[in-house]
Amino acid sequence: MKKFTRKLYAWINDRVQLDNLVEFMGKKYVPLHRHSVWYYFGGVSLFLFIIQVVTGILLLLYYKSGESLAFESIQFIMSKVQFGWLIRSIHSWTANLFILAAMIHMFSVYFEKAYRKPREITWLTGMLMFFLALAFGFSGYLLPWNELAFFATKVGTDIAGIVPVVGKPLMQFLRSGDEVTGATLSRFFGFHVAVFPGIFTVLLGIHLILVQRQGMSEPLGMEDEAIAERKKMPFFPNFMLRDLLLWLIVLNLLAILAVFFPWELGRKADPFAPAPAGIRPEWYFLFMFQTLKYIPGKLWFLDGEIFGIMLFGFAGFLWLLIPFWDRKSSRGEQNRFVNYIGLFVIMYIMILTIIGWLA
Amino acid sequence: MKKGMFALLIFLPALFQFARAAGGDQCFTCHEGLGDKESAGYKHDIHFAKGITCAGCHGGNAKSEDMEKAMDKDAGYIGVPKGDDISRACAKCHSDSLKMSSYGATIPTNQWELLRTSVHARLATNGQEQIVQCITCHGVHGIVQVKSPASPVYPLNVVKTCSKCHADAAFMRSYNPSLPVDQEEKYRTSVHGQLNGKGDPRPAVCSSCHGSHNILAASDVKSRVYPVNIPHTCAECHSNPDYMKSYNIRTDQFAQFSRSVHGVELMEKHDVSAPACNSCHGNHGAAPPGVSSVSKVCGTCHALNADLFSASPHKKAFDEKHLPECETCHGNHEILAATDTLLGTSSGAVCSRCHTQTVSPKGFAVAGMMRALTDSLALDEHTAIALLSEAEQKGMEVSEAKFKLRDVHQARLQSRTVVHSASESQFRSTVDKGIAVAVGVIGEGRQAIDEYYFRRWGLGIATIIITIVALSLYLTIRRIERRQRTSTGTNFPMK
Repeated sequence: MKKFTRKLYAWINDRVQLDNLVEFMGKKYVPLHRHSVWYYFGGVSLFLFIIQVVTGILLLLYYKSGESLAFESIQFIMSKVQFGWLIRSIHSWTANLFILAAMIHMFSVYFEKAYRKPREITWLTGMLMFFLALAFGFSGYLLPWNELAFFATKVGTDIAGIVPVVGKPLMQFLRSGDEVTGATLSRFFGFHVAVFPGIFTVLLGIHLILVQRQGMSEPLGMEDEAIAERKKMPFFPNFMLRDLLLWLIVLNLLAILAVFFPWELGRKADPFAPAPAGIRPEWYFLFMFQTLKYIPGKLWFLDGEIFGIMLFGFAGFLWLLIPFWDRKSSRGEQNRFVNYIGLFVIMYIMILTIIGWLA
Repeated sequence: MKKGMFALLIFLPALFQFARAAGGDQCFTCHEGLGDKESAGYKHDIHFAKGITCAGCHGGNAKSEDMEKAMDKDAGYIGVPKGDDISRACAKCHSDSLKMSSYGATIPTNQWELLRTSVHARLATNGQEQIVQCITCHGVHGIVQVKSPASPVYPLNVVKTCSKCHADAAFMRSYNPSLPVDQEEKYRTSVHGQLNGKGDPRPAVCSSCHGSHNILAASDVKSRVYPVNIPHTCAECHSNPDYMKSYNIRTDQFAQFSRSVHGVELMEKHDVSAPACNSCHGNHGAAPPGVSSVSKVCGTCHALNADLFSASPHKKAFDEKHLPECETCHGNHEILAATDTLLGTSSGAVCSRCHTQTVSPKGFAVAGMMRALTDSLALDEHTAIALLSEAEQKGMEVSEAKFKLRDVHQARLQSRTVVHSASESQFRSTVDKGIAVAVGVIGEGRQAIDEYYFRRWGLGIATIIITIVALSLYLTIRRIERRQRTSTGTNFPMK
């Protein structure tokens, strides 16, 4: 067996110079410190994205977009297609875990100040991918064309319609008309399986190339230590095998979730039926949804909802541009203010999400 | 003494007239002198008896002997009131309880208010006034008390009074072309109408059911004859033992109907497609359906059952024994939801009332067989429901099977209809179709539950495999790192 592997390696190496790659990987090291565990969440996010791509392609073999076909095709996948239930459940669960892993990855990068020079572009591509992940979630939620998804999309696009100036055209663009209809479903399907994956792949490529090119960021203060004193671990095979081990654990968790908590399909959407009680968005939008509920109808001269949306938009924009305004971290100095903002954001998201969930 | 009394009786009207003239009703004195019909009629009017002068309605100064002064507009003279002013003139006193009590009247004072909310208060075709004024029903210049047999609204006269308009096709066409105009004709054929025609004022007349001043369209939910309210309206008389005593009629119909499947649907669930009293008895031509017509009455809604029964061998047997068709098995006012227990030969079954093992062994056997079949279908349906419910609770997708389950239930309902044919083969065919679908659904339910356990086992095996791979990976990592430590001579992690 070993002989065969060696022969195969030599055959490939003759053609694509694998030795160069092995040599490059052999020189890659991962810094070791008390926060090294957070490095794994980037890999977990990547793994979950790969699962999404694979299960998404499998679902595409049977899914039919359209007002009169979407729900029935998912029903068919769930009940008639061999292991269709498993693929759909894994796709739905992974979507949520992917956003959770990406969120943890984002916050770990934030608190480690890993966005500081020279990794500004890595942060930007990562953040754009995170926003795209949310868009993936929003567009994918409608695809089964069930009651909850229909009304959540209606509420979601309604909120988008409130944005000053661009809101109304944006809402019409998202809905492909004034109302959520079969045309909206087709549009969301197009976004979900073609537009978003295309953009995401480009961003992911840039992100991964940058990570390989620049290596893993070291926490502030570690740079002061002498290079010889810094602890590190070879990326290949040590870190990669550990990554793989974690991926296997995540895969196991996914299988358990898919079997014990299969993703329900609910009832087919009926645009003429009244909205069922308890309509709420997916958990990752819940803190914003809940906040909008608390904002009074009128704030000074501004409509409460418009104020809320502008506030979130502005906060998101500031968050995206943090490498450019956190100058202290870029200079290698501690910035406690950024830490306090991060802690506040985490607490805010957690509390509002819990309240929204229990409401 | 007797002579004195006789003289008093002869001269009393003259004295009364004298007293009126002295009291100031110069209008009446002059008009009577002119011999017009208004004053002639007014002499018999209740208002005349109460001392109300012509000016009470027409305004002016009734005390003045001078015609110019008596009919002076400045003195409030309005002449002959027109349109809604007529009813307003009546309401001037009839809506004033103090004024009414001053005349010793105890009648209600909300008639005008009620009339204005009624269907009769809609605008007339001339666009100037409401359709009905007080005088339309009560008359004018000869108004007598309602309880007086001379009143147009006395029970024996009210039907004619209402029919003045309601039997006039040309008039009714102007307001409600779809409303029939044969109510009086039908009424005269009803038990109520026949008794009324014989001079009995107590049976129901138009106002007994529709109300008097507050008459609303039958489609109005507040109407006394809106389907949901009809049983209560009928029960006002028919559940009153004292009122019905002289007619020798039972008074438990309302109580029975309230418990019936029809009553619950109509009065509790407010399903207006459910029958009310008039659906079976008729409304204006109300009478109990006879033995020969009861199936036709039930058949207006339960058409298929009635058709099947008419074509069945039971039809001839029931006719020969003069048994009312539907009522014999289902009862009349207290018709309960038909369950499978009605069928068969057990104690609660109606078949065994005639088909005993000794008198009618064939019928007895067929009834038993039908019950066995329907029980079998019911059992299969329950099994299928339980299995699908279990599968659903386990998170399995069984919506298609659940959809098929509706066919099983449909077959059960259909079998309850087909049973009226009393045909063994027809019944068996219907039930068999249901059983075939139920068996399929049961199979799908079991398959879903088996699939659930297969998934559990699959997960268990997959978990074991993944765990073994993960453990091997962990051991590999340890082995590699041990080798690295040995080869580099440093402690891992590397420095």
